[in-house]
Amino acid sequence: MKSAHAKHEWKSNTLPAMVMVGPVTLCMILLVAIPLIYVGVMSFCSIDQYYNVVFKFTTQNHLRLFSTDYLKIYGQSLAIAFLTTLFCILIGYPFSYLIARTKSKRKKLLYMLVIIPFWTNSLIRIYGWRTFLGTNGWLNTALQFLHLTSEPIDFLFKQGTTVLGMVYCLIPFMILPLYTSIEKLDTNLLEASSDLGAKKISTFLEVVLPLTAGGIFSGSIMVFIPCLGYFFVSDILGGGNSDVIGNLIERQFQSGNNWPLGAALSIILILITLLLVKLYQKMGGDMESLGM
Amino acid sequence: MKRKLISVLLTATMAATLLAGCGGSGSETASSGAAAGDGGELNVFVWTEYVPDSVFEKFEEETGIKVNVSTYSSNEDMLAKVKSESEGTYDIVQPSDYMIQLMIEQGMLEELNQEALTNLSNIGESYLDPSYDPGNKYSVPYQGGVAAIAVNTDKVDLDVTSYNDLFDPALSGSLVVLDDYRAVIGMAARSLGYSMNETDTAKLTEVQDKLLTLKDNVKLYDSDSPKSALISGDCTAGFAWSAEIALAMEENPAIEVVYPSEGAYLFMDNWAITKGAKNYEAAMQFINFMLDSESAQMVSEEFPYLCPNTKAVEAMGEEYSGNLAKNPPADVIAAGEYVENLDTDTLAIYDEMWTKLKQ
Repeated sequence: MKSAHAKHEWKSNTLPAMVMVGPVTLCMILLVAIPLIYVGVMSFCSIDQYYNVVFKFTTQNHLRLFSTDYLKIYGQSLAIAFLTTLFCILIGYPFSYLIARTKSKRKKLLYMLVIIPFWTNSLIRIYGWRTFLGTNGWLNTALQFLHLTSEPIDFLFKQGTTVLGMVYCLIPFMILPLYTSIEKLDTNLLEASSDLGAKKISTFLEVVLPLTAGGIFSGSIMVFIPCLGYFFVSDILGGGNSDVIGNLIERQFQSGNNWPLGAALSIILILITLLLVKLYQKMGGDMESLGM
Repeated sequence: MKRKLISVLLTATMAATLLAGCGGSGSETASSGAAAGDGGELNVFVWTEYVPDSVFEKFEEETGIKVNVSTYSSNEDMLAKVKSESEGTYDIVQPSDYMIQLMIEQGMLEELNQEALTNLSNIGESYLDPSYDPGNKYSVPYQGGVAAIAVNTDKVDLDVTSYNDLFDPALSGSLVVLDDYRAVIGMAARSLGYSMNETDTAKLTEVQDKLLTLKDNVKLYDSDSPKSALISGDCTAGFAWSAEIALAMEENPAIEVVYPSEGAYLFMDNWAITKGAKNYEAAMQFINFMLDSESAQMVSEEFPYLCPNTKAVEAMGEEYSGNLAKNPPADVIAAGEYVENLDTDTLAIYDEMWTKLKQ
């Protein structure tokens, strides 16, 4: 009797559940859990004189993470990410507001203006900036033609150029969540606010901003985190003078040939990401708007 | 209901294109292989901006072997890739001197079939039987050169004669240097009169202090195409491969090549076959083809590095021999130094220095 019951339950619940959840679980194990464990184990390994990874336990890699050189680069990387996020908010917010409040056909056009560049490989777009900003690039040629400068201005290969490239690459990630949250905003509230005598500025600061803070939060997370890893932007536009954490990892896996150290550095990046997401959750952020 | 239908249709289309994608790539190689005479395939892994496409095309035409090219921008990158891919992914690699030695020691290379190397006699005596591969058992030379100094004399007033001059504050924010840690640290060591393969920690501390003074002068790190920044004028001086400087000189006559008085960084790149190569015969055919003087000449025209192919050098005449950047003088070669393999502890110090410089 009991076994028949169990059999019945197996049939009715377990099999459908297995079919539905099984593939996802398998994917998670194969694509997330195993690679993470692999990276974790790798970070405790050493290398031999031929740069081969050998399973000799060491904490040397983790100790090196706290050297002042690395700490400086983490700081620089966080500063670049912070500035990028700030500029993305400053540029993205008015733009999202514009899209959300525009009526009819033009709305789609504005929306597409954000999406379409996204379809081109970001490497190509970043190289485009390099030609545009170069000493003999379009911008300098135009400035000299208009007699605004007599000598070409040095735009390239500075920390500022890296931030520019990051903002350019990542701004859609800020605009899209902002747009969603601004569109959700009930216009009746704005009317009510002005009916009660609030000026436009105080309506914005006390009604609009608090109600769209969720969008700013999720946008910031989605800009800040990739910014720490986008090594190609700092390589191409920063000229190697403004490394982010991603550059450190890339170097150890490629030219440095020290995979265990690279793995340890990756763990730092994962930890920073987890910390930020946790912080976001604590501040009342909505995990769904991060796509989780 | 309609929406459901659409989603089913979309899924079906996606699945179909996915399969088509898989089939497509397979048949593509097969068909182009057939068009070229179906002589098989060859996977070569070479430096960026180093082997002209025209040479590969000529080889494909002559033999009907389809060549698939992948590129890398430092020896260490190449080593990391060859190790991480499955054995036989690449048939041919192009390591420099010290990397050949390291790969031989690790059993990563296949011995060359000497009988198939009928064109080896084209290579000058002095380039054969190198210390990193006695008897050329595993490798034959391709091209070599010097990591030299480029100066745009229109923009730079400083009289640059040595590596040491690259550290001069007058060059602040104007240099393009190789994104290669052994080359740059080696250059700093030479500027102090030390070896590029220095292992003494006290001396390395000095090298580090010296190296950090370079930081303000460097505008760009680029190993792939340092000539671009020199030609565009973004950088007015640089530490770059000699042929890159030769090409920049052709574009802008104000750019000059300077061989450092301290003795320069030298390199010799070689053809070698990886262990477990799937197309060994084709690879041997390719290497012998590259030793042919006509191929060497085609290479030299596009990437004018030091050419070890004496027959090709004779054919090119003054155009090559008379060019200071293309053909580094014998005394520069004699005074120069090659990179050697170092122990892991020393390399860790080098890596640390590099991180300090690039932060």
